[in-house]
Amino acid sequence: MSLAYARNDWYVIADRNSLEQGPRRTRLLGDEIHVSGSYAHPVIKDASGRMLPTQIKFDHVWTTVGDRPRPLFDIPEGNEPGRRLVPCGMVRVKCSPLRAVENFLDIAHFPFVHTDVLGAEPYTEVEPYKVEIREQNDEVWATKVKFFQPLAAKSAAGGITTDYEYRVPAPTTAVLYKTCPPKPEAQDVITIFVQPRSETECDVWPWMALYDDDTPYADLVQFQQMIFLQDRSILENQRPIKLPLDPRMEIPTRSDLTSVAYRRWLKKRGAFYGALAETL
Amino acid sequence: MTWRPVGLTRDVPAGRVMRAWVDGQDAVVWRSTRGVLSAWDNRCPHRGMALSHGFVRGEDLACLYHGWHYGAEGGVCSLIPSHPDLTPPDTIKTRAFQSAESDGVIWVRLEGSPDLAPPAIAPGLDPLRSFEIRAREGDIAHGAAAKPFEPAILSLLFNPIAHDRTLVTVLIDAQATSDQRKLASRWCEDVRREVEA
Ligand code: FES
Ligand SMILES: [Fe+2]
Repeated sequence: MSLAYARNDWYVIADRNSLEQGPRRTRLLGDEIHVSGSYAHPVIKDASGRMLPTQIKFDHVWTTVGDRPRPLFDIPEGNEPGRRLVPCGMVRVKCSPLRAVENFLDIAHFPFVHTDVLGAEPYTEVEPYKVEIREQNDEVWATKVKFFQPLAAKSAAGGITTDYEYRVPAPTTAVLYKTCPPKPEAQDVITIFVQPRSETECDVWPWMALYDDDTPYADLVQFQQMIFLQDRSILENQRPIKLPLDPRMEIPTRSDLTSVAYRRWLKKRGAFYGALAETL
Repeated sequence: MTWRPVGLTRDVPAGRVMRAWVDGQDAVVWRSTRGVLSAWDNRCPHRGMALSHGFVRGEDLACLYHGWHYGAEGGVCSLIPSHPDLTPPDTIKTRAFQSAESDGVIWVRLEGSPDLAPPAIAPGLDPLRSFEIRAREGDIAHGAAAKPFEPAILSLLFNPIAHDRTLVTVLIDAQATSDQRKLASRWCEDVRREVEA
């Protein structure tokens, strides 16, 4: 466990909806946090009553408990005109926040976990793709990822091969860029902001920036929630609960390049909160 | 290590996957299409998913997460669906335990000399049912003794699965009538209710 690193990151702890329902208590990095105020003026306090800094970004309320927080990354697509911004509520998962991110970076499970939605047998093969650590901002990127999907998004009818890119700007955030060949210029952005309640429990806040003006908001949210509930049935049944960083503990294959890079990147930064680093 | 009774043969027909606990070890017990019984660590070597959520494909158990296959003979990985043309190295395999069946009861043991058979059940007994009680073995034995079952001979096997949970396997006189079996099932429920209260 390394709280020192984790304390200086920013985390989502609320969205507009949850704030409108009045003051609430939540947890962040094992400690209780009080959330009140309005979306325009959120008031975040720790258990001792200390005011915590806040910022509103990507339709969510962010806070940090660190003394020297790293700057919050940007997702520039959120400012592009023509995009529809869709906060999708929250799903609580009893798993390590890092396992939740790793699962989001994984496509090989689509045919088995999101059967007939994001994938289907016999289309299980994962073509080679590219993974890199981008030096200038120290982020994990996976590009040229392709996968066949019977029903890739709300806007797609029938099966298509979808192109993906993945970006990990912080240990508990993953961004997915998704392109359907019929409209290659329109790259949907789907993100998860993971709030680490503890090392073994998290609240996942999905957020999307889409070129889709037609699908009703409720349908978009419902679709994402369904996907995450399917993922939850996996995430709550992995052992050990914390993400092992020792490469001998779990056996990757070629399609796991993103996961391998993510784990190495965590290790290099010392981002061990939610990781099993003891055996290293 | 001791053989532990984890369930009844008839509760794990071909194609069925079950979770079991053996001396604190989380285990998966499953039967292939052709009838081979296996007991393994309930953990996929790929990314730790519980194999008890998996599904049987012929002679393999497939993990629910990414569909990796593990063969009934030896637990070696035989298919990685994301790379269907790859022959997985045979170092990828599940941790296998010993399993055996006798008189309709499934037994699992974490380790021990392979030629030692599970304890024989007293002759003339049939398995009745196998179920969980939220209590310790001692308290269940005590509760059962305080409520003797008159209509037929019963025998109880215990498998502790947590500090306050026990799997109880009940055997009944093979000559017992279906009415006696029904009464015995009701007796089991009564004992459970009393011990859990
Ligand atoms: S965790 Fe079992 S196949 Fe991936
Ligand atoms: Fe998923």
